[in-house]
Amino acid sequence: MMEDTDPDLSPSPSDQNSSSPSLSVCSSPSLSLPSTPSSSSCPAPGPAPSGTPPLGVISEGPGELSLVIDAEVAQRACQEVLQKVRGGGQPALSVTIVKPAQIQIREVEDDPGSVKSARRRQRHNPSKQSWLLRLFESKLFDVSMAISYLHNSKEPGVQAYIGNRLFSFPHDDVDFYLPQLLNMYIHMDEDVGDAIKPYVVHRCRQSISFSLQCAWLLGAYSSDMHISTQRHSRGTKLRKLILSDELKPAGARARRDPLALTPFCPAVSGSGEHGLSPSKRTHQRSKSDATVSISLSSNLKRTASNPKVESSQDEDSSSSSDSLEFETGPPVRLAPQREFIKSLMGIGKRLATLPTKEQKTQRLISELSLLNHKLPARVWLPTAAFDHHVVRVPHTQAVVLNSKDKAPYLIYVEVLECENFETSSVPIRIPENRIRSTRSVENLPDCGMTAEQRAGSFSTVPNYDNDDEAWSVDDIGELQVELPELHTNSCDNISQFSVDSITSLESKEPVFIAAGDIRRRLSEQLAQTPTTFKRDPEDPSAVALKEPWEEKVRRIREGSPYGHLPNWRLLSVIVKCGDDLRQELLAFQVLQQLQSIWEQERVPLWIKPYKILVLSADSGMIEPVVNAVSLHQVKKHSQLSLLDYFLQEHGSPTTEAFLSAQRNFVQSCAGYSLICYLLQVKDRHNGNILLDAEGHIIHIDFGFILSSSPKNLGFETSAFKLTTEFVDVMGGPDGDMFNYYKMLMLQGLIAARKHMDRVLQIVEIMQQGSQLPCFHGSSTMRGLKERFHMSLTEEQLQLLVDQLVDGSMRSLTTKLYDGFQYLTNGIM
Amino acid sequence: MSQVEKRAGLLRRTSSSKKPLKEKVVLMYDEIFKEDPAKNNPRFWDELFLMKVNLEYLESKLESVDGEEVQRIQDNINSLFHHCVQALGEEHQIKVVNALQTLCALFRGVHQKNKSASGFDIINMLMGFDKAEQRMKDLMERLDSLLCGDGSESLKSLCLKLLLCLVTVTDNISQNTILEYVMINSIFEAILQILSDVSSRGQHGYDAVVLLALLVNYRKYESVNPYIVKLSIVDDEPTLDGMGMVVHQALTEYNRQYKDKEEENQGGFFSTLTSMVGSMFIADADEKLSVQTNEAILLALYEAVHLNRNFITVLAQVHVYFSLLWFYLCVCCTVMNNPELPLDPNLQTSNLLITFLKYASIVMQDTKDEHRLNSARLCLIILTCIAEDQYADAFLHDDNMNFRVNLHRMPMRHRKKAVDKNIPSRPLVCAVLDLMVEFIVTHMMKDFPMDLYLRCVQIIHKLLCYQKKCRIRLHYTWRELWSALINLLKFLLSNETTLLAKHNIFHLALLVVNLFNMFITYGDTFLPTSNSYDELYYEIVRMHQVFDNLYCMVLRVSTNTGQWKEAASKVTHALVNVRAIINHFNPKIESYAAVNHISQLSEEQVLEVVRSNYDTLTLKLQDGLDQFERYSEQPKEAAFFKELVRSISLNVRKNVSLNTLSQDVLLKEFSTIS
Repeated sequence: MMEDTDPDLSPSPSDQNSSSPSLSVCSSPSLSLPSTPSSSSCPAPGPAPSGTPPLGVISEGPGELSLVIDAEVAQRACQEVLQKVRGGGQPALSVTIVKPAQIQIREVEDDPGSVKSARRRQRHNPSKQSWLLRLFESKLFDVSMAISYLHNSKEPGVQAYIGNRLFSFPHDDVDFYLPQLLNMYIHMDEDVGDAIKPYVVHRCRQSISFSLQCAWLLGAYSSDMHISTQRHSRGTKLRKLILSDELKPAGARARRDPLALTPFCPAVSGSGEHGLSPSKRTHQRSKSDATVSISLSSNLKRTASNPKVESSQDEDSSSSSDSLEFETGPPVRLAPQREFIKSLMGIGKRLATLPTKEQKTQRLISELSLLNHKLPARVWLPTAAFDHHVVRVPHTQAVVLNSKDKAPYLIYVEVLECENFETSSVPIRIPENRIRSTRSVENLPDCGMTAEQRAGSFSTVPNYDNDDEAWSVDDIGELQVELPELHTNSCDNISQFSVDSITSLESKEPVFIAAGDIRRRLSEQLAQTPTTFKRDPEDPSAVALKEPWEEKVRRIREGSPYGHLPNWRLLSVIVKCGDDLRQELLAFQVLQQLQSIWEQERVPLWIKPYKILVLSADSGMIEPVVNAVSLHQVKKHSQLSLLDYFLQEHGSPTTEAFLSAQRNFVQSCAGYSLICYLLQVKDRHNGNILLDAEGHIIHIDFGFILSSSPKNLGFETSAFKLTTEFVDVMGGPDGDMFNYYKMLMLQGLIAARKHMDRVLQIVEIMQQGSQLPCFHGSSTMRGLKERFHMSLTEEQLQLLVDQLVDGSMRSLTTKLYDGFQYLTNGIM
Repeated sequence: MSQVEKRAGLLRRTSSSKKPLKEKVVLMYDEIFKEDPAKNNPRFWDELFLMKVNLEYLESKLESVDGEEVQRIQDNINSLFHHCVQALGEEHQIKVVNALQTLCALFRGVHQKNKSASGFDIINMLMGFDKAEQRMKDLMERLDSLLCGDGSESLKSLCLKLLLCLVTVTDNISQNTILEYVMINSIFEAILQILSDVSSRGQHGYDAVVLLALLVNYRKYESVNPYIVKLSIVDDEPTLDGMGMVVHQALTEYNRQYKDKEEENQGGFFSTLTSMVGSMFIADADEKLSVQTNEAILLALYEAVHLNRNFITVLAQVHVYFSLLWFYLCVCCTVMNNPELPLDPNLQTSNLLITFLKYASIVMQDTKDEHRLNSARLCLIILTCIAEDQYADAFLHDDNMNFRVNLHRMPMRHRKKAVDKNIPSRPLVCAVLDLMVEFIVTHMMKDFPMDLYLRCVQIIHKLLCYQKKCRIRLHYTWRELWSALINLLKFLLSNETTLLAKHNIFHLALLVVNLFNMFITYGDTFLPTSNSYDELYYEIVRMHQVFDNLYCMVLRVSTNTGQWKEAASKVTHALVNVRAIINHFNPKIESYAAVNHISQLSEEQVLEVVRSNYDTLTLKLQDGLDQFERYSEQPKEAAFFKELVRSISLNVRKNVSLNTLSQDVLLKEFSTIS
């Protein structure tokens, strides 16, 4: 349908009308509104084929009018808009033409200042007019573009079109831009909000996790508003609506809706057609909906002694859970997860009051053990990539992280993967000490030969399958079967040895062993235990983070009563309380965008965006980077230079292991150097740079980016952190790897420059209404844009990279800053 | 215990208010002992339970009845019992209270009277054989519904007292035949319910736990005790937690009292002196009493740990003194905006195990007294059970669960009192090992507690076995343990003759030597550093004389014919590696000294010699070093527990008789209600 429309049909009339100011058209809502999905179904059932379920719902309940939309309806609405644009609505058309023009200019000139004048110029160019339509319809039109148009377009028609178009994008793609969408919803004008809202509401109905995500983000991004306006702002209202759990799946709601009788519909929908924004409308209605139903039911009963009680009784018959939430506070659907998050935050707050790390750790462990009593429940970690239920928090594994006054902490969470956490049933609780029941059997395959030999030598593998298990007293002897040896392959003699004591019972010949062997095995084993850090009560996280992830998973799985289940998974999360993670989220988005750009352009730069969950303006969760410790911890615990540490961990410089670690190091250094430069990431002390087991560096803590920097006497003036230690690992400033590093940076910068818009857009939208320090000042965006150096040729760029690298290498301030950090925070 | 004394104790309260006129209730009691009271007054029984009970009189009356009279009035007593049971079902709570108290008096009076009589005679006298089963069934059902209902708390408390009274009427619980009916009509569920509920736990938890501990010990070894069966399969966490809490609180209270007393005594030199002198004269009755009461709690802890595997988790359950608001609970109520509870940042988190270890360290300080010896033994038995349990071992060794445990250490001449404050936070197993080392060092006395030493060494052995098997490298100062063990051997040697008269010292010596063998042959699997292995050799070489002497001794004994021949020869075999080490390194060290012209080698130098001479040393692998005999209560410990339960019974009976009967408060409560 859309493809066969002839683009040449529309432009000519628009020319005549273009003299009339397009602004006036924008302000007249009557013309632009028909494009909103609500009106598409409201004025005429004609265009909508009868019998489609969503429409049925809509006509049944007035509350659904603007809320229930699926992709099909949206698609139709889009067509309608375009039809209008193409056909009769001439003024609207003239407006839409403006847009492609603008894009043209941006591509050519890259000068935001001249857009307006350029627009005027371009407006008279008829050949451009259909571009927007073509673009919108083309396969190339992705979420990124949609968001960009939504943000830049001043035309309600376009905004509404994109609002509808959102329905047709894959959820995951839109989810990436959720912060942008919501920030626009909160801080931009009503039309944008109206365009976005149906989509958000629709998704909220579908998914609990999306609902909560929205609620959290709305709360966080509304917080910068003045307190008085905040309370009445759209964002706050939508947040309340979501949290009130009005937004149930449409099916559940429809059952109740017949109570709200039709006489109210025309009034509401009528007012919606003109003037009233959909957002206001729905909100009011959802309120009135409730009251209406209450008053009605009481009327029907005619025993209105206590209407409220009456109504709740009445509703009990239809759906008991619905009635609950009117009277009592917390809605049921979202409650468990909200409470789960809340108690995690509560723990963080209480930890902050304790003076020493040791006390914090103990308290953390004990609080989490209490938390365990309430698990499993329908709760999940929002940072995870798959659906699951949290079943247990292995409380003894939790650690308090290093922080001077806050108390962020890292917890591991055992989850059971499931189809869908909203519908799958919550796993039943298994008592803590039922670990042993099936584990021994479970582990046999893992242990491979040794285990079997062992089992053979003991001749009896205890069988715990029956209920007698609770009766049998536990035997330490069983452990032999259960314990898969850590180092079976590398030191077979030991594992055989521990069997010896038993086998030798059978063969009566005396067995002799050399004392030297015992001593040697001891030191070998100690050396082999992959360099753990020594436990330090002041730095409990170091040990926990150093342990290889796989090993930790195995260990925790062994100790867990749920470990035998095939869908058992281990996740981890850092809970931050008292920290604003909105900047982190922004950085994460930028990183992820750059990562996909580099991937697309096939530049082997390596970065690791870690997931951020913003819960409010001062709390959130972070997905920890596994198998990584900070450079500070590396240096403190190993007492080695970085290069020596690499040699210790990966082997001598000619080995495969070292070379690949080195390559990883270089690729990640290049990636993060560019990021640091582009985003002006500051506060780059060694505590904020991680080193993973494969040699990658990973920058964390994006608390100081763009326009903000720590107030520290103007240290860190260099573009990024490149110490001589780093260069040493790369093989010195004359080595091939160092050249490779510079080459990667150049390629990375060129690639990033090519897709600059995709990066800029993320930042620009978030700047709206934000008080975040990273947007401080007026030149944030300009500065960022300038750092992409659009105007330079590639040769010039290469020079620039050389300069940046040289400057950073020679930078005294980096060294000074590390010294400063060492003095003030004890970070090496 | 003389009856006179006891009755005096009972009468003390009322004796002052004794009136010349007999109370009405007394007259009514008299009537019961004469003829069928209901004959003249059909409402007799109704009225009786409205009267305030005179326990003393009723009990003494029952006791004073002689042989023939018994036959005559048995029907009346049966009838009294019957009506008591019926009155328990009354709505009128005063009647219930009076009936409970009357039952108490009945049980006690009849038993007092017939100490030598068989249980069947007693049952016959109380209820009559033919009706006994039905009566007891009714009684237990009534008690059960009273305990589980939402009636008055004081009423529940009285029910528990009655049950405690019933359970402890005989010195030997297993001879209390009436309990057979308590076995059939179980009140186990009622006890659990009390323990699982927070508020009822607070008020009746102690009694409930003691009652349970006693019931579990009824004919433990002879028949199937349903309470044992049921206790061993409880897996309800709140209930087990509740039980742990009760024990935890009782032990904490004891520890606190002890600490207060200790601090009192540490006022200064003069006060210590006076208190020392004072304590020579005044037997500290109060303290003794508290130790005894805790035996019951300790027994409960033991039974829980021994019988119920799920209870082990409770041991490590950290008690933090506030409650988390939680989503299950607050879905339907509006607890959401609870204000955050005030927090004491200095609050040390504690758990049952830590409290227990502290308690054990206090009790073990002085084992001269019989009760304390029993307590110490029971503590060690509990620790044995814990050390054998894999889950318990797992959290004992958990590197992430570090605690500071302030163990009490006996003040001794040759060492200063350790500064409590600097104890590092370590895995709990360190505290257990510390406790064992502390015990070993402080109990080398003439009246040698051989049994405790054996348990102690076995606990260490079990822990080492776990560490070896799980390859846990505990960062513990093993040296302290080694030197304590060597000193123990030294003590055994120097007191050989006196000790041999009473004990088989070779068994203990064998266990100690085998601990060393564990370190020598399996040190690679659990020692924390390679240096610690060198230090082990250093310590053995340094103290070689002790081992030499021991070898001489056991060789001597094993070559003579005598009762110890076998035992001693085992030790000679066990010593083979230790001797190999000594014989290997001593010449090396001497020649090193000679070559370098040093008369006294420093530790570092010796370690150097040790390190460079491992390779020429061959050791023999001994059998079964990492095997141990599992703890089993029967038959070895049966006698101990019988005695223990007997002493607990006596104690509980004494306390119940003192406390229960002052129910004025209770009566007041109900009189105002009704």
